[in-house]
Amino acid sequence: MESVQPKIYQLMSTVFEIPVEEISEESSLDSIESWDSIRHLNLILAIEEEFGITIPDEEVGNLINYKLIELIINEQLGKH
Amino acid sequence: MENLKYSEILQQNKILKEKIKGEPFKVSILSNITVNSFKEIAEYSLRLNGINPVVGIGNFDNIVQDSANCRDAKMVIIFYDTLNVVDSIAVFFDEMDDAAIQQVEQKIYTEIDMIFQNLAGIQTVIFNKFSSLLFPSRFVQSTKLDQFVGNLNAYLEKKAPRNVSLGDINKVIARLGARQSFDGRFYNSSKAPYTLSFFKEYISVIEPVIFRITGKLKKAIIFDCDNTLWKGIIGEDGMTKIDMSPASAHGKAFFEVQRIAKYLSKKGVIIGICSKNNPDDVEEVIVNHPDMLLKNEDIVIKKINWTDKITNLRDIARELNIGIDSLIFIDDSSFEINLIKEQLPEIVTLQVPTATYEYPAAVQNYIYKYLDLNSSEEDKKRTAAYKQEFQRQDESAKFQTLDAYLASLEIQLDIIKDDESQIPRISQLTQKTNQFNLTTIRYTESEVEKFMKGNNSYVFSATVRDKFGDSGLTVVCIVTENEPSSATIDTLLMSCRVIGRNIEIFFVNHIINFLKEKGYDTVYSKYIPTAKNPQVESFYEKMGFRVNKTENGIKYYSLETEDYQEQKIDYIKGVAVQYN
Repeated sequence: MESVQPKIYQLMSTVFEIPVEEISEESSLDSIESWDSIRHLNLILAIEEEFGITIPDEEVGNLINYKLIELIINEQLGKH
Repeated sequence: MENLKYSEILQQNKILKEKIKGEPFKVSILSNITVNSFKEIAEYSLRLNGINPVVGIGNFDNIVQDSANCRDAKMVIIFYDTLNVVDSIAVFFDEMDDAAIQQVEQKIYTEIDMIFQNLAGIQTVIFNKFSSLLFPSRFVQSTKLDQFVGNLNAYLEKKAPRNVSLGDINKVIARLGARQSFDGRFYNSSKAPYTLSFFKEYISVIEPVIFRITGKLKKAIIFDCDNTLWKGIIGEDGMTKIDMSPASAHGKAFFEVQRIAKYLSKKGVIIGICSKNNPDDVEEVIVNHPDMLLKNEDIVIKKINWTDKITNLRDIARELNIGIDSLIFIDDSSFEINLIKEQLPEIVTLQVPTATYEYPAAVQNYIYKYLDLNSSEEDKKRTAAYKQEFQRQDESAKFQTLDAYLASLEIQLDIIKDDESQIPRISQLTQKTNQFNLTTIRYTESEVEKFMKGNNSYVFSATVRDKFGDSGLTVVCIVTENEPSSATIDTLLMSCRVIGRNIEIFFVNHIINFLKEKGYDTVYSKYIPTAKNPQVESFYEKMGFRVNKTENGIKYYSLETEDYQEQKIDYIKGVAVQYN
């Protein structure tokens, strides 16, 4: 399966308004200053649109770092 | 817009932000729910239309308070959402007794009054009506909530002042479906009930309001002919094969579109034709085809030739004296549509749908979006001016001679010298007038001002009226003194709106007489040819000037004021000449 990483980096860069180079596998709510609740919501919406998936309600609040985001996207993509 | 992903909108927005400058258009969004993702979508849509937006979102659930603090906004949008109203008072609305419901209603009425009062100074307010569409409902019987919402909306309708438009949010939900409009996950976590799809649709339905206040409305619809006004190709299929009959399956859509266009022309929308065809073929259809509804009296401008449509559409805008961004262009050819999209992106285009039954509705949607048929005073005046033009044309049929016709118009000229209040308009005319313009010299406002203030130069202008209306300041002449006994006509121009009425002769008579009285024996003038002004190449000869020499196509003239033979134009009446 094609890696989802570049797309996620791109989305995070756009939503959080930081250069894509500053995003890594270690990026998280704590390392990105502009990651507030509003942008979190925007990130989820952007991810859903980009990958054509729906992130389950109970996971929405959990996606607070890159690794968790990648995990849930792959999990949802795998269902198709 | 609907096709763009949110992340793409965010990216595009960044790029457009650098490009779109100009007077900021401030929009304040007040709400009792979270609508933050609307901000970027709204800004993007405004920028796409060349508007430089500043969209501010009020504090959560602070509509009344915020409404007192957004005085500098051009536009205020209010999401007073039923979801959060109900959330704060009941889990199951039917549980509430009538007295309690009434109490809530009274509270909201008071708030509405306060909001309207606080926003009285705002030019445009959109208040979304209350809706019960996202709640469980019954089919055959209204719920308590339906009645509650009905009462609130009735109150809004009753109390909404002129600056408040009520938005019917149910229509947005109906277009998308409730499931695509509402996202329960984010409602529970962040009180953000609406999806991105909802906001994309929402901005598209309020765009007409924004266009109206930002002057982005369209003024003219320009149609191609083949497969746009009728089914088929006149040059190939011929008169008998083209189809626009209400009785035929393929022709019906074209009949309907023509019917709409005819109605629009009556409402003052300019209807035009831009088509690659032999003009005679199209003329034959317009005049003689039994199903052709649009007639020459409905069509203000026609460009039927083999020139490219970019040139033609540019010419149309210039000849109508309207901005190129005031045009809507309809064509069946994806080649032409894409060409215009690429080369003249200011023009809104509609490609005739391949499923032609969708065509009339597509045209109607454009009308609702880009035209304002219940127009403002200013617009009405403009519409009236075009209508007068129609009437003038109608009148011309009644008279045998042109003079008799012109006399019936009761034309009146007001000639003014050095009127500084008209500097912007005069400068604008020097820059825009191409056809009736003897020298086509463009002047800035400060240059015009210099001519007016100078002791040795004069700026004459005239406003033209007739019994059908006022054409405004449309004639200009700038004269400079060479030596005490001679003067030169530097500029002589007339807007195409008033061509063909011999106004120019009357106007020049006055100027020559003025110069004669001032003691000028000789008046010099010249004609500088351009691609657009051949119609005036012999104007000065007709006025009795003598050609002294011709150099590089430029004709140099002179006239002895002593010998001037005035051509009497008797039918221009009651001239009031004011010399400041």
